[in-house]
Amino acid sequence: MKYNRINVIGLGNLLYGDEGFGVVALERFRELPGFPSSVHCIDGGTQGIYLLDYIESCDAVIVFDALIPLDYERRVYVYRNDELPAFIHRKMSSHQMGLSEMLGVARLHGKLPREVVLIGVPPCELELTIGLSPEISLLLPEAVEQARALVNAWLAES
Amino acid sequence: MGKKIVVDPIPRIEGHLRIEATLNESNVIEEAYSTGTMWRGIEVILKGRDPRDAWAFTERICGVCTTVHALASVRCVEDALGITIPTNARIIRNLMNATQVTQDHLVHFYHLHALDWVDVVSALKADPKQASAIAQSISPWPKSSVGYFKDLQQRLVGFVESGQLGIFSNGYWGHPAYKLPPEVNLIAVAHYLEALDFQKEIVKIHTIFGGKNPHPNYLVGGMACAIDPNSDTAINIERLMMIKKIIDDTNTFIDQVYIPDLIAIAGYYKGWLHGGGLGNYLSYGDFPETSLDDFKTLLWPRGAILNKDLANVIDVDPRDASEVTEEVSHSWYTYAGGDSKALHPWKGETTPGYTGPKPPFEYLDTDKKYSWLKTPRWKNHAMEVGPLARVLVAYAKGDPMIKDTVGMVLSKLEVGPEALFSTLGRTAARGIECKQTAGFMTHYYDQLIANIKTGDYRTFNSERWEPSTWPEECKGFGYTEAPRGSLGHWIQIKEKKIKEYQIVVPSTWNASPRDANGNSGAYEAALKGTPMINPEQPLEILRTVHSFDPCLACASHLFDMNGKEITSVTIV
Repeated sequence: MKYNRINVIGLGNLLYGDEGFGVVALERFRELPGFPSSVHCIDGGTQGIYLLDYIESCDAVIVFDALIPLDYERRVYVYRNDELPAFIHRKMSSHQMGLSEMLGVARLHGKLPREVVLIGVPPCELELTIGLSPEISLLLPEAVEQARALVNAWLAES
Repeated sequence: MGKKIVVDPIPRIEGHLRIEATLNESNVIEEAYSTGTMWRGIEVILKGRDPRDAWAFTERICGVCTTVHALASVRCVEDALGITIPTNARIIRNLMNATQVTQDHLVHFYHLHALDWVDVVSALKADPKQASAIAQSISPWPKSSVGYFKDLQQRLVGFVESGQLGIFSNGYWGHPAYKLPPEVNLIAVAHYLEALDFQKEIVKIHTIFGGKNPHPNYLVGGMACAIDPNSDTAINIERLMMIKKIIDDTNTFIDQVYIPDLIAIAGYYKGWLHGGGLGNYLSYGDFPETSLDDFKTLLWPRGAILNKDLANVIDVDPRDASEVTEEVSHSWYTYAGGDSKALHPWKGETTPGYTGPKPPFEYLDTDKKYSWLKTPRWKNHAMEVGPLARVLVAYAKGDPMIKDTVGMVLSKLEVGPEALFSTLGRTAARGIECKQTAGFMTHYYDQLIANIKTGDYRTFNSERWEPSTWPEECKGFGYTEAPRGSLGHWIQIKEKKIKEYQIVVPSTWNASPRDANGNSGAYEAALKGTPMINPEQPLEILRTVHSFDPCLACASHLFDMNGKEITSVTIV
């Protein structure tokens, strides 16, 4: 199976401590050498609705984001395809259109990529500050490595 | 006093907007209090900076209406420095603004507000044949076959049954305040998905003129895009053709999808006419055909209406120190001259002083300060701004296009103009206005082509670009009508730097707390008197607050794996 386009998206707010994890992880990933031009790195910031096209336009997508897991251990979580819950929250503002809604809508549009992977960590510190906490920084290499391994496996299949 | 309910979207993180409401024994809202739970502070960041950079900072206030602050900012700096922009720049700005309003209204209706009226789960029970017949009876939109609705319904069923996605699991589905038949719900869900797909086309216009979206580039003195029909890198024939196609498709979508849906849905809710609120409406006006000071040429007229008196539109001058003021008697700011003062933005101050409880808290002491939003007032009146205010000002002034469209909507719904003073009226006004701004897009496209044909390619006036050409001290005012309402930027420039900058945004007008005299803001007034069927599922509050299209500062977003509802509703 061919992966003509692979999107790697970092989500988060860099001004909000560990909430910026996804964007920091993306920047680390972007520095890795050797990926072909079919691998695209996208700093999604805190955009919601504008990201839909980046999800629907590729064959495989990896999203880095801070998340709240069910068991809440301090480790890297990797959720693949069916393991990913996508749901629509009640919203007060269009600012709150998030990744979950994007995935839900992409699915209803019938444009969900063949592979959807969320790589995330539960945040340790959430306050108005720039930079990740030491605990979360320690998890960065593993998160980036998980993404690298997945992308390489997809490229090998192509 | 009966119960007190709190609707607080993100108690876990920094938060947006929080509504506290008290109910009487019959579950009717007696009082409501609106709180902005986050401080913006851009005014402080701007002090001492180059005024030509201000647009890039202010534009980041909002990631949804991503052009409006840039527009108000360049206008206020140009006003201060006495800069006249070229005709092409005026047209391009108007076209981008019309694009913004059209896209924003469409997204708001389908993706933020529709689910307050549309019961997604009910769509599973729809008869696709009937849905198709209804769709074809209200619109020539081609995606309306039995097969189309059947296919969508099957995807929806699969989606809901798969459980793991539970896409719409957090709505108040089955709430008795939902009135649409299953077939209309199914049509609305189909268009929810189509609108989401289509809206991303509209904003490509921003990318073409502004280089990127969100946050396209603006420029003090004009626009940062070159026009040259023979160049590959400028606005050329190919790009103009692309813009034309987007504009035509947008008009078709609004006419054949949005407006028929609005009328079809509103027809089932015309008994739900709560949420009127203040009855005071303000519009600065926008879409200048010549200069911004030539108010008579504004396609969206300027004016104010008090106490729903449509026979009397009052002149408005936001430069006048006695007209637009901001108070902090219930806001977490202090004024050097005392917190009971009301200051015009040219005398404005931004000094934060939080005196509320340490979060997390259960509720606020609303007799004291209770919001990060200041309290803007016009001649001491609390005012509603936004689509309803603009449509009413235009209607009262006899604008022919607005009179026609309002008349068409009212007659199809078989209601009188008094129905406009409601939550539903606000929602209808947004649709009416969206049809109008889609028309503006065509109008400005034609203007642009006509002007380019005269050989005028200018988009930038560099005469006052160099700070050496500026006066030692000056002040300016820039305004626009953003999708959510009247937006004003007031600047003072001294020694080539920003001395003071004040921004009064639409949601500050609408979501403001009480003023020193105890007068409620627009949200607070609109919620008062609304009956609630089930206070644990405050759908009625969401309807009214959503009808204003609240826009408070950008939230931190977190992927919640538990599928927990972020908008928490607690009864205390």
